[in-house]
Amino acid sequence: MSSKKKNSLSAKTGSYMFRKKITPWCILFLPMAFTVWLKYYPIFRAFYISLFKYDPINPPGKMIGFRNYQEMFRMQFYWDSWKNTFIFLILQLCMCFFIPLIQALLLNELIKLQKCLTTLYILPALIPTSVNVIIWRWIWHPDYGVANQIVKFFGGQPQTWLSDPDLVKFCIIFPGVLGGGLTVLLYLSAIQGVPSDIMESAALDGCTGFKKIRHIILPNISFMIFIQMIMCVITTMQLLDAPYMYASGGPSGASTTQGIFIYNAFNDDLNYGRGSAASVVLLLVIAALTMIQMHFEKAEKN
Amino acid sequence: MKRNKNKIRYGKAERRLKIVAVTVSLLFAALMLYPMIFAVSSSMKDNSKIYEVPPKLLPAKANSVSLVLDYTGQEFESEEEMKDVMMQDNVLAMFGTNFKFADQSIMEIQVYGMRDGKTLFHSRAHQMKLQMECDYGIYKRTAIKKEVLLHEDRYIRACESIGYEFDPQGLEVSVEEGLGTQFEQDISSMLKEKYTTSGNLIKIGDKTKNILNLESFKYYLDMPAYIYPQSERVVKYGFLTFVMNSVIVIGFAMIAQVILCSVCAFVISRQLSPRAGKFVLLFFLGGMMVPFASIMLPQLIMYRDMGAYNNYAALLLPFLYPYGFYVYLYKGFFDQIPGSYFEAASLDGAGSWYLYTRICMPLSKPIISLIALQTFIGNWNDFFWAWLVTEDQNLWTLNVALYNISNNAGTKQNALMGLAVVTITPVILLSILFSKQLKQSIVASGVKG
Repeated sequence: MSSKKKNSLSAKTGSYMFRKKITPWCILFLPMAFTVWLKYYPIFRAFYISLFKYDPINPPGKMIGFRNYQEMFRMQFYWDSWKNTFIFLILQLCMCFFIPLIQALLLNELIKLQKCLTTLYILPALIPTSVNVIIWRWIWHPDYGVANQIVKFFGGQPQTWLSDPDLVKFCIIFPGVLGGGLTVLLYLSAIQGVPSDIMESAALDGCTGFKKIRHIILPNISFMIFIQMIMCVITTMQLLDAPYMYASGGPSGASTTQGIFIYNAFNDDLNYGRGSAASVVLLLVIAALTMIQMHFEKAEKN
Repeated sequence: MKRNKNKIRYGKAERRLKIVAVTVSLLFAALMLYPMIFAVSSSMKDNSKIYEVPPKLLPAKANSVSLVLDYTGQEFESEEEMKDVMMQDNVLAMFGTNFKFADQSIMEIQVYGMRDGKTLFHSRAHQMKLQMECDYGIYKRTAIKKEVLLHEDRYIRACESIGYEFDPQGLEVSVEEGLGTQFEQDISSMLKEKYTTSGNLIKIGDKTKNILNLESFKYYLDMPAYIYPQSERVVKYGFLTFVMNSVIVIGFAMIAQVILCSVCAFVISRQLSPRAGKFVLLFFLGGMMVPFASIMLPQLIMYRDMGAYNNYAALLLPFLYPYGFYVYLYKGFFDQIPGSYFEAASLDGAGSWYLYTRICMPLSKPIISLIALQTFIGNWNDFFWAWLVTEDQNLWTLNVALYNISNNAGTKQNALMGLAVVTITPVILLSILFSKQLKQSIVASGVKG
């Protein structure tokens, strides 16, 4: 009788332990399954499709191995789109990347205006690209836009801006020059996080004004700047919405980034294989960049 | 004296920096505000001033024109016939004036039909309404000539769309007093020559009413209904359809993320061993880092095969997995809740459901609002996925709708700017109102990431 009781008790504790171990995984099962289904599976699917001469009506069509990749690498248009992506990247880094940093550095010096200006600086992050596109397409308009009026005022030749293959990338990146966005706040909080004893001792040693910014603040937030730079590279590599909405990847493919190349491959050419091949290559590049970022973040933590 | 002592004395270098900081920051602020002010002012310009070169910063004055037509002494067989004649005259006067004097900023036209000193007919139209009928509505792709305006039942439909009052016994309304005579000559000669009306034109007055520039917004919101007459819901609700869709998508995303991420983070933080927890967290974080551009094609094929194409399922499904970053933020918060709360409750026999709903969630209000805000900021700008999977206008989110409307060749720029302003104003107002929470959430999420 007593042994029976003991047995049932031990079985109960066993099942309790088992239940305690298994419950978390039961709860996690659905979210994890959805993550696999919605995010990880498509990667393999992309690789799988890239091996086929994909037939959308009777999928998956004919297996052709890596010929999609070979064909793609032989395309001038593909390399042009990489070139465009890199020009976008360089423009972004040269024109826009440092603006939020400057804004944050200057904002740190203000006392009364700081609160009000930080609010203002957040606003560009909340204005969707579609609205930005409407406003800036009108500013760049060759006939009625403000841009040409300013150029004329300084005695220059009116330009066609977004219809000009040489200028289109500049026009798409330029709105970012106004700065603002969430990065300003991140920099600002990083600057304010610089230990006050460092600042005070620097001030006592006569390191004030621009010297303070150069010798004290910038070295102290260099890691933040570096991380933001990698983030900027990663997001610019995936640039898709802005060039598509401003110029649909045109004129004559001058603003076709990797993302738009993929979109055109499956939407215009109906070549799913090539689109997937480009997707896989882009994924590898971005994964490499992300690895670099994670590596440095880990190094900084240690 | 005392105040002077407390004042911090800045050195020369420091003072120079302060001056530079103030000037450059204010310059940036002005530069940043310029596009917004430009958009607001453009949205209030009228249909011809928007195409003026060089563009002015402020919209022009809005004029309201009243036309009085007199039918005294004319014989009509019946009241119906009189009404018919008045309606014809109304359409001629309104569309004729709007077409011929497009550059005069006439934002409102009122037509009064008089007989024996009594006002029998009154109709009022805003310029945007008339312009929309010309661009997309009843007079789409037609010349504004008398024969065309009165062709078949067009003028009746136009009057009904604009709205009018008619009463053979006389209406309460009468012409306003003290009107100017700026347009009297031009309009009367134009109406007599080109659009001969049956009634005698006895008075043409104008008045400046700047509030009419604001009234344009009402018509901008209705504009999608004119551009996309094939979609029932858009015709009924106008631009609000797209606002609703955006609210549905973003609202769903917020709710889904708040719940899913908190459940996952609770399990990771409280029920798994640290090693397993780290593995699961990395698993979720990895899912978030997959770039959209490289999976949009397989994702599209996958969704299409499932039938999640061109319906709400396609718009909402992508939010049904926990964003790794939010799980990470949640976990950081849950780790700080004292473990004794949970221990005490589990000793009393509380299950994980109870622990989660009764102990974890009530304590984590700040993090919930942070995640909701982050989800909003992160997904408010989403465009491409919604653009890929929607065909019907009644499914478009704000971004897709704005992009499509802006690509519509006939759309006037002031209307576009108006819609853009309508889209961002609530968000900007809310962000100014909640700027403190917003800043906190951005800083809290950014420092760790």
